Amino acid sequence: MYFVLFSVLACLSTCHCFTGNDENHCGLLKRLLESSRVSVEINKKGFHREAVTTVELSPDVLSGVRVLLVHRWPRGVYLDPYQLASLSVESDWQILLDSAIDLELPAHKTSGFVTYVYPTVDGPTPRLLKVTIPVHGRYHKPSYDGKTFTSVDIEAPELLLRTEKCTQLSIFEPHAVVDAPCTADNSSACSWVKLQHQQEQGAVGLQFPVGDGSLVTPVCGGTLLVTMISCVALSKYLWKHRLV
Amino acid sequence: MERLITGLTGKYVIFTAAFAIRLALVAYGDYQDRTMVVKYTDIDYHVFTDAARFITEGESPYNRSTYRYTPLLAWMLTPNIHLSMMFGKILFIVCDVLSGLLIYRILRLRGLNSETARRVCALWLLNPLPMGVSSRGNAESILAALVLGTLLCMEARHLIWAAVLYGLSVHMKIYPITYALPIALALRTTRSEDIKRWRWRSFIGFIGSFLNRELLLFASVAGGVFCMLTALFYYMYGWEFLHETYLYHLTRRDIRHNFSPYFYMLYLTADSRWSQWLGLAAFLPQLILLLVASWAFHSDLPFCCFLHTAVFVSFNKVCTSQYFLWYLCLLPLIIPHLSLSVKQGVGLLILWFTGQGIWLGPGLLPGV
Repeated sequence: MYFVLFSVLACLSTCHCFTGNDENHCGLLKRLLESSRVSVEINKKGFHREAVTTVELSPDVLSGVRVLLVHRWPRGVYLDPYQLASLSVESDWQILLDSAIDLELPAHKTSGFVTYVYPTVDGPTPRLLKVTIPVHGRYHKPSYDGKTFTSVDIEAPELLLRTEKCTQLSIFEPHAVVDAPCTADNSSACSWVKLQHQQEQGAVGLQFPVGDGSLVTPVCGGTLLVTMISCVALSKYLWKHRLV
Repeated sequence: MERLITGLTGKYVIFTAAFAIRLALVAYGDYQDRTMVVKYTDIDYHVFTDAARFITEGESPYNRSTYRYTPLLAWMLTPNIHLSMMFGKILFIVCDVLSGLLIYRILRLRGLNSETARRVCALWLLNPLPMGVSSRGNAESILAALVLGTLLCMEARHLIWAAVLYGLSVHMKIYPITYALPIALALRTTRSEDIKRWRWRSFIGFIGSFLNRELLLFASVAGGVFCMLTALFYYMYGWEFLHETYLYHLTRRDIRHNFSPYFYMLYLTADSRWSQWLGLAAFLPQLILLLVASWAFHSDLPFCCFLHTAVFVSFNKVCTSQYFLWYLCLLPLIIPHLSLSVKQGVGLLILWFTGQGIWLGPGLLPGV
């Protein structure tokens, strides 16, 4: 009888341990969601820039928590998959692109795309994460309203979190639960919790130069005139000095 | 005996020195790639290597986007994957020094003495521009060697070899096709005719002068080599090969990194219905000048080819900085025969650099 009592008590305590641990991890995740912050800033000038994404996670034990950054890029920029491949060998993050990227098309002939960045694939997740991704501007259509620059807005990425040990993701209202690839090799999909944006950082604007479309007639006329005159002058000179 | 020795050592010193400097640059480039953020190696070299990797895996090199060259180049660079990444660069610098040797041989055939020929060769061998381009991993030196080889064989009247090298060079890049007209004019039977009165008989005689044994031999061998290579790679890689290697370059309207005078015009009219006609209008000055230059100077083949390339590059709708090497490799061939004074030559050089500076200035100034 004592044996039965003992085993029942052992079962109850184990059950309590399990649910307690689950609660611990889910509580940890909830605290992370409430106090984490993500921001993006763009460095460098010209058509070749760098997007530096900074993630601050609240100071708790972070074992077992995986982070995923989802960038939604507009059509005015592109990432070079070959450059990213060589960079991810040197750094500790991995990136997954949702579609093939044409490196040479102008902006109005492409559409935006999505990237999934997995920072610190091996090892524990640190409190402060910085991921630097090289971004390149696409050529844009010439402007017809006298503006010499066009603006491209880059939004801060979505921060997605998950942990193996917490599976009741529905308790994290109002933070949404989304499906996304588990790892950068896109072999399976997992459920992640998306951090509700604090709206403290709006989009970052990039300026790229564009041509002046209203000048099309003088430019065409001038270019063709100069090349025709050069052609005629050179032809005359060549013919005059020809070798008999 | 002593003079012979000094002559020999003098001759080989310059080629050895040129190779050693290029080798040192390749080694430095490897060091810079590994340690600094700004890489020495050109992006094109990575494109070639990736394409070669696809070939070693049994796939098409055109799986690598922006690979717009002949598959032959990727095949030649497969040792990059099997042996070492440096193989391609070593190949390019060897071709570079070989180009210098070919320049020396052509100059000797055209009547220069060894001393002067070596000095003129130094314009290519010790020139930082081809040194930098080859050590960074661009394949221009292969084409320079092929074009110079064709000209050497033409000077020495080894027509079959000239035709083989010519067919190969046209396969690798399209622009040597413009040399077809001066070569044809140079190989036809020249008759001292009175062409002041244009009549049908003299016109037919003119056409008939193209139909001689040498020209037909050259045309058939060069055409055969080109068609064989095209057929082989079409069989292996299909339509993509034709499109990426040839058709892309013929219809190319690259609005980025472009030295062409037409670049802004083409950018502004890229989506308009006039762009086809404008493209044709831009092609006319190039065509007219090529025809005039061919007829005026075909008797001096290296000079004619130099003019052709200079005209082609300057009036083309697309021009990147690599294109300048196409006529730079022919410049040492013509310099000894120019009647420009040194002052005029230096003045023209300064003018060329000023033009480059004005073009690139707004792009490199801060605040853009």
